Order: sequence, then C-alpha cells, then structure tokens
Amino acid sequence: MTKTIDSSTQLVRRARLARALVVDMAAGPRGCHLGGSLSVLDILIAAFHRADSDEGSVVVLSKGHAAAGLYAAMYVSGILHEDPVAHYGRAGHPYTGHPSPALPGVAFPTGSLGHGVAYAAGWALARKVAGSDGLGIAIAGDGELQEGLVWEACQIAAAKRLENFVLVVDRNGGQNDGLVDDISPMPGLAARFSAFGFDTAEVDGHDIPAISAILGHSRVGKGRPLAVIANTVKGKGIPPVEGKAASHYVSIDCARAATWKRMIR
Amino acid sequence: MSLSGRDAYRAELTALAEHDERIICLEADLGGKGHPFQSHHPDRFFNLGIAEAAMIDMAGGLAVAGYKPFVSTFAPFAVLRAAESLKLTLGYLGAGVTIVAPYAGVSGAWFGTTHHCLEDFAVVRSIPGVVIAAPHGEQEMRAVVRAAVTSGRPHYIRTGRNADYTSLPSADAQQSVNWEHAGHPDSVCLVSVGEEGTRLCLGAREQESDLAHGHLCYLDHEHLADAAADLSRAHRRFVVVEEHRPEGGIAEALGLLMPHCEIVGVNVGRQWSSEGGDHAEVMARLGFDLPAVLAAVRTAQDW
Repeated sequence: MTKTIDSSTQLVRRARLARALVVDMAAGPRGCHLGGSLSVLDILIAAFHRADSDEGSVVVLSKGHAAAGLYAAMYVSGILHEDPVAHYGRAGHPYTGHPSPALPGVAFPTGSLGHGVAYAAGWALARKVAGSDGLGIAIAGDGELQEGLVWEACQIAAAKRLENFVLVVDRNGGQNDGLVDDISPMPGLAARFSAFGFDTAEVDGHDIPAISAILGHSRVGKGRPLAVIANTVKGKGIPPVEGKAASHYVSIDCARAATWKRMIR
Repeated sequence: MSLSGRDAYRAELTALAEHDERIICLEADLGGKGHPFQSHHPDRFFNLGIAEAAMIDMAGGLAVAGYKPFVSTFAPFAVLRAAESLKLTLGYLGAGVTIVAPYAGVSGAWFGTTHHCLEDFAVVRSIPGVVIAAPHGEQEMRAVVRAAVTSGRPHYIRTGRNADYTSLPSADAQQSVNWEHAGHPDSVCLVSVGEEGTRLCLGAREQESDLAHGHLCYLDHEHLADAAADLSRAHRRFVVVEEHRPEGGIAEALGLLMPHCEIVGVNVGRQWSSEGGDHAEVMARLGFDLPAVLAAVRTAQDW
C-alpha cells in the first residue's frame, strides 16, 4: 500500500505519456481504437504496477481492441522496450490492432471479446493449484459483458472460489455501434457480480491511486473473486473527443495529433 | 476385456499424473461420477460446469502458467460450440492443451444430431498446429495420451461413447501407417480412420483376406502427409473409411496429397440423423456399414 501511494505521482505521469503515444498511434497509417484506449489507460497503468509487485500476476486486456492503449501502457511501464508508435499496425512488427502473443509481454491473444476473462481465470486457477501468490487480472469493457463467455468464466471463478481472480470493468458506456445503454443496457452491474458470488468495488477509473489501492489489497482468504467496476470516460484526457461515441475508432493527421497532445489533461 | 476409448483415456491420464504433477484434468459436467482422476488426484481435478468455451480458455491459462491441462467434453461441444476457443487457444496461442472428445461421429446414436459430431476433422484440421488423433482400441488411446503429455503440443483426440474395440496387433500409434495387412501392391488398400472405420475395415478383411489394410491414428496435415507418402509408395487404389462427412474428411485430404492414386471414400454422407437406434443402426441408416465398404472395394477393384 505504501509503495502504491508513494508511486502515484509517477504513475500519473506515465499515464500522460501513454496518452500522447495513443494519440500518435491514431495519427499513424491505420488509426486506432482511440476512445477505448484512452478510457482504459489509467486502469492498465495501475494494473501493470500491481503485477510488477510480485512474480505471479498477469494482466490480460480482454477488450483487445484497445491495443494501442495496451502498447502505450506497456511501454511507459517498462514492459516493452521499444516505442510502439513507429510499429503500430505496420508489416513486420507484432503490434497488431488486437494483441498477439507474438509480442513479448502479451500472454494471450485477445480481441474476440470474452476470451481474456477466461484466460485470466485460468491463470488464477493455476496459481491456486500451485499454492502460489499472484493474481489473474482481466480488464474487460462494459460492452464486452454482453458476451456469454464472460459470464461462463465468472460463474466458474466464483464456483471455484478464485479469490485471486480480478475482473476490472472499464465502464465507459460505449461500444462499436453506440451506447451500451441504447443497445443492451446492463443496470445494477455491481449487484449482478455480487449475485454471481464476487466481491465488488466501484471506483473512478481514472483515479490511479484509488485503483492501485483496490488492486493492492491482499486477496488472501477472501474466498470470492473480485469485480472492480471502473467508471471511465471514452476518450479521456483529450477534450475534443472525451465522452464522444465517435471516438471509438479514430484516424487523424499529424497536425491534429500535435494539437491534441498539447491538450492532454 | 479392453477399455473403451474414454475409459482408457481416464485410466492412462490418472496413471501418468502419479508421476507428473503438472497434469490437470478438467471436465465440463460430462465426466460422469466416479472419474478415476478425481479420486486419485482431487486437487488437480476440476469439473468447471457446463461451460465448454470457458473451459478451453481456462486450460490455456493453465498451460501458459506451466501446467498440462487435459479437457474433455463431447465432441460436438468441444469442436463446434467452443470452436473459437479451440482456434485461439490451441491454434493461435499454441497452448499445450489436450482436448479429449468422446461422442464423436454418431456414437451418440439415439441421443440425436445435437449429440453427433461429423464435422470435427473438417474444423480441427483447418486449425494449424493442432495434433489430431483418432485412436482405435485401448492400447492406441493410451499411447496417444502418453504422447500428448510428453510433447507439450496442443492435441485433439477423438473417440466414441462407451464401446470398446480390440486393439490392433501393433498399437504403435507413432507409425504414420499401422499396416494391419500390407497386402500385394496390386491389391486394393483399405485405409481405416477412427474406431468404427477400423472395425469396418477389419470386417471387410475377414471377407476378403487379400485386401491390404493400413490404419491411420494421427490425422493432422503434418502426420497425414507422412502417411500419404507411405501409402502411395505401397499401393495405388484406396478405400478410405471414416465416420465423418465427406467434406473436410480424411479421404478428401488424401486425395489432394496423393493425386496420382485412386481413392474412394466411405463415410456418413450429407444427411442428418433424426431417428433413434443404436450406434450401428444409425450408421447403417446413413450408409456407413460393411456393405458400403465392400461396394467401395468393388468400385476400386474395377479401376
């Protein structure tokens, strides 16, 4: 916990750097899933920081379309050693639009929604069987929760009392075709997870110290997996796109990228 | 008395796990009560409930963490319901997960089409990197399970329901072709695939002892290419017998691998089974029986 508080300023600084990288990737030849990458960034930064505190934790970005956010967060967290901007979406490099295990530091393929939740649960089961510490941390989108596979995995995690399984929901309210509330709303989300047998927590998904504090609490002896509902803003940090559904996939030119990077907050 | 493929898998895996603590056994509520792995290694046996796709993905998580997960559920659910997990976890990720799939073919018989799987070779053979085996008899199943534990590669192992089959005299599953009878180079060669395909070929050999017979255990492209080389060196005319659809089956694949050979396939055709009956009755209704094999032999002999 002390480590989390002491390093919070550093983590916030990492997030600012990562946001600039994501904007640069949006200005690359392919564009990127900008809104979801920016909404999940602070969660990723906090999760990687948590995973760095032991040998046995894994972070799985199940909402794999936020790959640009993942690569940026991995780079500023020291997991990747090359700047992803120059390679994102380009031939000859493993920085695909959805994460590939060909990229060092990425353990599982994600992008087809739901799978990352089950992969992280499997990892948690492995640590439990081994009698070892370590969390399986999955980060899913709120739209992703419409996938049945998510709830299959949650059912198993609760049934097998995987207290070391943590599902963080990046609740940015958006999905590909619009708003979650318009397409397939999911009210009472915390109650749903609670009914499944999860401990639950709700947090500002852009408050890195608060997320770190939740992830930093020991899960030993809890007997239930943990769902963290992180309320986020699509496009967070770039005022022109914040909260806009149109930020889901964005391709911009370099001049606009420069303008947006000056606006990062 | 020999064990069924399903029971042989369970017995062998349970025995292997005595000496390999990394083996994990997962079921999706179709393992039945009294699973030997559960009683011998309760800390490494998990019935994850009716959740096939999640089971395969979680096995991927276990494999990445250093374990050797074996998952089992009926073939239609493993291959079709959980197809994307199979593709991503066993194929793309290349995780060392083994799927053991009973109820393949129409061995589910009177349970109906939801419990049949005549499409598994077509689906799994199209996923690169997955080792595919359809062992016949207890000894071959045991050998395949041992090889899967040792190799660390993703495996799909097809078997039937509860029937037992007498192992072939040589059950060396690692041979590209297990020659039950090499025969004369000019004779028609039966190529048997899976439990019922092998049973039918043995039945045909009882009626026509001059027929050659090569049994194939491993059926992914890598192994099948080796088998095709061995088969085409020895014979020119083949009857391939498999409890599968014609499309995506082994006869079709061998046809591409052996373009200079004559091949006729015996399979279950393109119908859906919507009647009861036991396994043999359902197969016969779909045109997969000994008369069909013998008729195919006549066709091949006339070439």
